[in-house]
Amino acid sequence: MPPEERREHFSDVVLRRSSRRGFLEWAGMAIVGLAGVGTAARAVLPDEADAYTNFCGHTYTTGNCPHPTGLPRVDRHDLPLRAADGHPVDDLGRPINAEGYPVDHAGAVLREPDGEPLAPAPRSKVCRAAGEAHDLKLQIHGSWYRCSGGRVRRLMDCCGYTKVRINGDAALTGYCYGGRNVFCVQYYETMVPC
Amino acid sequence: MICAAITAVVAGVTGAWSPCGFSMVETIGSALGEDRRGATLAASATFAIGAMVGGVITFGGLAVLGHMAGPGAGGVRAGLGVTIAVAAAIADWRGVKIAPQIRRQVPERWRWSTPLPLACGLYGVLLGLAFTTFVLAFAVWALAGISFAAGDPLLGAVVGVAFGLGRALPVLMMAPGFSGGGQGARLLDGMAREPRMWLGLRRLDALGLSLCAVFLSGASATAAVLPQASDPSAAGGRLAWQALAGSAQLRLQGGRTITLPGADPALGGTRIAWQRNGTITVADPTTLAPEINIAAAGVNALAISDTWLAVRGLTPNGGEELLADALTGPAHTRSIASSPRIGEIGRPSLSGESLLYSENTPESSRLELVNLVTGTQRPLRISRRGAQLAYPALLDGRLLYERLDRCSQQLRLGAMRPGGRERVLLSLPSTATRDPGYQRGYEHAYNSASPCRNRHSGRGAQVRLGATALAGHTAFVTEVSSDASHARILSLHL
Repeated sequence: MPPEERREHFSDVVLRRSSRRGFLEWAGMAIVGLAGVGTAARAVLPDEADAYTNFCGHTYTTGNCPHPTGLPRVDRHDLPLRAADGHPVDDLGRPINAEGYPVDHAGAVLREPDGEPLAPAPRSKVCRAAGEAHDLKLQIHGSWYRCSGGRVRRLMDCCGYTKVRINGDAALTGYCYGGRNVFCVQYYETMVPC
Repeated sequence: MICAAITAVVAGVTGAWSPCGFSMVETIGSALGEDRRGATLAASATFAIGAMVGGVITFGGLAVLGHMAGPGAGGVRAGLGVTIAVAAAIADWRGVKIAPQIRRQVPERWRWSTPLPLACGLYGVLLGLAFTTFVLAFAVWALAGISFAAGDPLLGAVVGVAFGLGRALPVLMMAPGFSGGGQGARLLDGMAREPRMWLGLRRLDALGLSLCAVFLSGASATAAVLPQASDPSAAGGRLAWQALAGSAQLRLQGGRTITLPGADPALGGTRIAWQRNGTITVADPTTLAPEINIAAAGVNALAISDTWLAVRGLTPNGGEELLADALTGPAHTRSIASSPRIGEIGRPSLSGESLLYSENTPESSRLELVNLVTGTQRPLRISRRGAQLAYPALLDGRLLYERLDRCSQQLRLGAMRPGGRERVLLSLPSTATRDPGYQRGYEHAYNSASPCRNRHSGRGAQVRLGATALAGHTAFVTEVSSDASHARILSLHL
């Protein structure tokens, strides 16, 4: 489903136009436009996604949702994954096994000196947790998919009734519905090659 | 804190021998004379208030900066404070010329252009700031360094008030009786003719700093008291712990350490307990003479008070259960909590009839308090997202626990009641490996929410905080290596 609206804010425009690719896009558009074939130009030139920020596939200037290990990679349930390898992590950023126990790099359960396993920690949905940290009720709405690193990546907007984004800029509608705006962004790595 | 405050008062008084110090007494005391004694007193008051405000700005501000700069680990801050204090103490004791010196004075024009109380208030602020005019003792530099190193805004504020008070005291003493060659004038004259008084005060500063160094070094030196040890338990001046390889150990009040005939030791009230081969032994910690033996298999943690014994053990279905046994009156065992999975119920802590334990699941983390007499139970702290609460210890209404999140591991001390002020006794970076929050080669100017202020991306701390114990003036915490092959118990003076 297409987004309801995608208005560009000044910072987004500056970002897009200030990047080298943005300039090339603009220059290419101008040349082709001069030839009077703008429609054809849109079909052959790279899309706006070239103005990526933070991580591949993410356009515009909305900041990442707070994530236990940094890059806001999540699984299909919006639970946090380590971006480097997709390993599930808890809210402390510790890799965990299927039962929620923290594990080492080899997958062995971490233990206390007396052999007791380390206690599990909460593992929270990233979007909802971002909302609670900022006194907002946030939820995942629409998404966009792009090819990133050889796989199709789902770019997800974390939406709520907010006028500002997590990084302080005025909020965009993005892929949000019902009057909600994007507060922060995250992504899900599909298994689909591209 | 008291030591630093007293040193700060003396350091402030020492400043009376500065050009500005002399000027202040004369300005406030001589210009008005007895006819306007009220105005003199008002000027003295505004000067004193201004000096204290200035002191708080400097020393409190440095402490806030130190606090924001992030916590030190393993006594690093205390070590820094000791070094600064010792160096300054030596220099002040020997009367070394102050360097670097700030060769500036307060603006004289204020004396003529503004009402005296206002001018004196502003002069007070400048002198209280400590580094806007001549510095008369190395103690001033040392107190600034200690405030920053301590990173405790309360300490900084107290030092600031004390320093301001010290700067104001000579003025308050001399100015009101200055006119007409009175007592104040004679005192000021004596000061001007007797620099040995100044040097004497510097030696007092040196003594004060030395005392501060002793206290700080006490904290630093005992930051790692017990190697290859974990699971501390403390009561009555004794400390028990589990040696990583071997039996439980007990350090007596005199400092002698003895090996206990069992494992998982617990101290509380006037009792000690340990377990061995399916039997829990409750004994007198002085004689180790057994008082009670209780058969219990699968025990892996104990807590004890004069009236209750708390036991965490394995259940037949592979989970864990927390039980409490009354040690006085009729035998009475109460089931406190159970979990189908091990590791979720934390090591218990007992204070009288109050039992405290942590319960951690992927859904929530909580510290639960149980009154073993009434059976009432209530959570002291709850975290449903973002943080884990663990390893609590309870003593006389004070709560020691750890709060772990994606950025840091903090050892906290506060009141049982939630919402009150908590002191962070120790803070380490989190153990998690973190990426920078953006992919290499991509714009990251908008990624403000993901980073941690206290640490960089990459590998986290190689040690994690573990079991704790709380004694009268000391908090104990275990530091465990990432593979649990090494552990040590730190003691932190409160």
